[in-house]
Amino acid sequence: MKPNPSPPKAGGMALGRTVLPIAMLSPAVLVTVAIVFLPMLQTAWMSLHDYILFRPKSFDFVGLKNFIAALNDEVFWISLRHTLIWIFLTVPSQLLLGLAAALLLNQEFPWRGLARALIIVPWALPSVVISLMWVWIYDSNYGVLNDFLLRLGLIATSIPWLADPATALYAIILTLTWQGFPFFAVMILAGLQSIPRSFYEAAAIDGASGWRQFWHITLPGISGVLVTAVLLRIIWVANSIDVIFVMTGGGPGYATYTLPLYAFIKARTNLDFGYGSALAVLFTLMLMGLVIVYLRRAGKAVQT
Amino acid sequence: MKRTVMGALVAAGMLAASAGNSWSAETVRFWFHFDNADNPMSNLVAKFEKQNPGIKVEAENIPWNSYYDNLYTSIIGGNAPDAAMVKMFAQPRLIEMGALEPIASRVDGWADKADIDSNLFNLTKGNDGKTYYLPLQYVVLYLYYRADMFKELGLKVPATCEDFREAAKKLTRDTNGDGQPDVYGFGFRGGKGGHDHWASLTLSRKGANLAGGMKTDAALAGSQFVVDLFRKDKVFPPSAPNDGFKETIGAFKAGKTAMTIHHIGSSNEMDQTLGDKVSAAPVPECGGGRWTAFGDESTAIFAASKVKDAAWKWISFLSTAGNNAEFNSATGQLPVSTKDANAWTLHKRRFIDATVQSLPFAQLLPNRAETSDFVNTVWPVNMQRALTGEISAADMNAKIAELYK
Repeated sequence: MKPNPSPPKAGGMALGRTVLPIAMLSPAVLVTVAIVFLPMLQTAWMSLHDYILFRPKSFDFVGLKNFIAALNDEVFWISLRHTLIWIFLTVPSQLLLGLAAALLLNQEFPWRGLARALIIVPWALPSVVISLMWVWIYDSNYGVLNDFLLRLGLIATSIPWLADPATALYAIILTLTWQGFPFFAVMILAGLQSIPRSFYEAAAIDGASGWRQFWHITLPGISGVLVTAVLLRIIWVANSIDVIFVMTGGGPGYATYTLPLYAFIKARTNLDFGYGSALAVLFTLMLMGLVIVYLRRAGKAVQT
Repeated sequence: MKRTVMGALVAAGMLAASAGNSWSAETVRFWFHFDNADNPMSNLVAKFEKQNPGIKVEAENIPWNSYYDNLYTSIIGGNAPDAAMVKMFAQPRLIEMGALEPIASRVDGWADKADIDSNLFNLTKGNDGKTYYLPLQYVVLYLYYRADMFKELGLKVPATCEDFREAAKKLTRDTNGDGQPDVYGFGFRGGKGGHDHWASLTLSRKGANLAGGMKTDAALAGSQFVVDLFRKDKVFPPSAPNDGFKETIGAFKAGKTAMTIHHIGSSNEMDQTLGDKVSAAPVPECGGGRWTAFGDESTAIFAASKVKDAAWKWISFLSTAGNNAEFNSATGQLPVSTKDANAWTLHKRRFIDATVQSLPFAQLLPNRAETSDFVNTVWPVNMQRALTGEISAADMNAKIAELYK
């Protein structure tokens, strides 16, 4: 009879318990370090240098010069303003539209399965296809939007939506809203289906109105999903430049420049990697700040 | 686990080694760009590979809008092609990067050198006096106009900027009675690549010059002239600030514009769509001079290439009589081979005439490193801002002057 497991074996098991998870995780961590963290550090390092790609021999340390230049750069502030409009219009519009769509799709109606499948289409299409499609919709000569508004008598002459600085950014925001709302719809729909039916039945017996049921049962039931979905969308939308790049390339002038697009154009077209990196680092810090504030507030709201 | 990692490393090493081998077996990687979707390259490559057993050509069509972005980054990343189609505006930057291989001795030893006009070699010479480019094709920009609309309104082809403005105003009209214009006088390209339109109306003026002559009254008059055409006279389509090649040519073919500026490369499709209704003439004289863009296209070998001899065989093949004609019949531009040019039947006479008449005042942009930024960002951004009224024409010129200071 062995009253106790022998001490060395126990030690081996304990060691195994500490080492095994690390060993299992390390490949993923290593890959992440190699393809995410190293380039991030490299970007931060480049942002402290004068580094213009077509002068490959010069790589001079200049400290914070690029950052100071950015803060004195008119285009930086224009792009920052557009980025804020871009995030704070697109994400809430997508959320509201997604919420409405999810509530509708959660009702019983014929062909519901088909409707649920079709709602994914904008999300499933490649961004380039969506961008080109909407460029045609907005076209001032042949576009269906102008034709529609002209026929309804809402406008007197066709409007060059993407060529007018007053409308270009909002036209792209509408495109991105259309593209991104199915993401919210699907996430929220999944959340809705996890709320037990009995809650609604009990509330109905107690005489709660539809609105009160929504406010006290539905919304708390999906709040966890909402927080995560909004967080993901803020990060994706903030960084998304493909639709802008294809639709206007940032133009007319700087009318549709956002910070990530400005960093991209500086680095890739002007080959000024030092300055482009500084813009990217500044933007990352700002986005990180936004995400932290959001998580603190939204996280608290969900817990209470 | 260690063993698997080792195994994977060995396998990867072997793959890399075999890939390395296949490159060294004389494969020439070549980049080009065509607006035209019909691609003649496969025929030319097949012909070349038949004549030169042991050399394989991998020709890749890179979209024009990001052609130079891709080229520069591939050079820096150490993955540049062996040879590529290149334009003069990119040359100073490529020289500064040390990316180009001098080819003067190869050109001198080339049997077909005499078939190419020596002036083309002079025009494409580097700012350090060396030869890096082998001419491949060329075009000269001129004015396309709707001959039928000019006749209907009793207008003459504009000889000066003033005539041009008057004609554009008259040509902008409402033809279907809905109260808004559906034909515009001039299809202006306000997006990337549209600097040639602006330059014809601005750099033509005596005293206006990109390098060192942008703060003059003449340069201001030119930019102001362009802005006024859009904002005051409203003779460009409202979408002009964002319009690129596709939009300007498409609008002209659809009858939405009565004039535009482009080269012989689009003449065949215009002739197919519009027939005799379209004709061509040199751009108008503005402020006492004329300026039109010489659209050059050459090939070059990159310094990092390991198969320079094979790459030279391929690019010289493309500029040799016969092949040069076949290449240009796809791009729709004009051959540099004199033999091919003399036997040229691809374009209608009136478009060749407009090209030839424009040659005496055709010019290139300054052979300086700043020209890349001028073409890619400084001109489009500031022209668009001036057109949409965010900045004045003087501000726009000041930004260009700042670039070339």
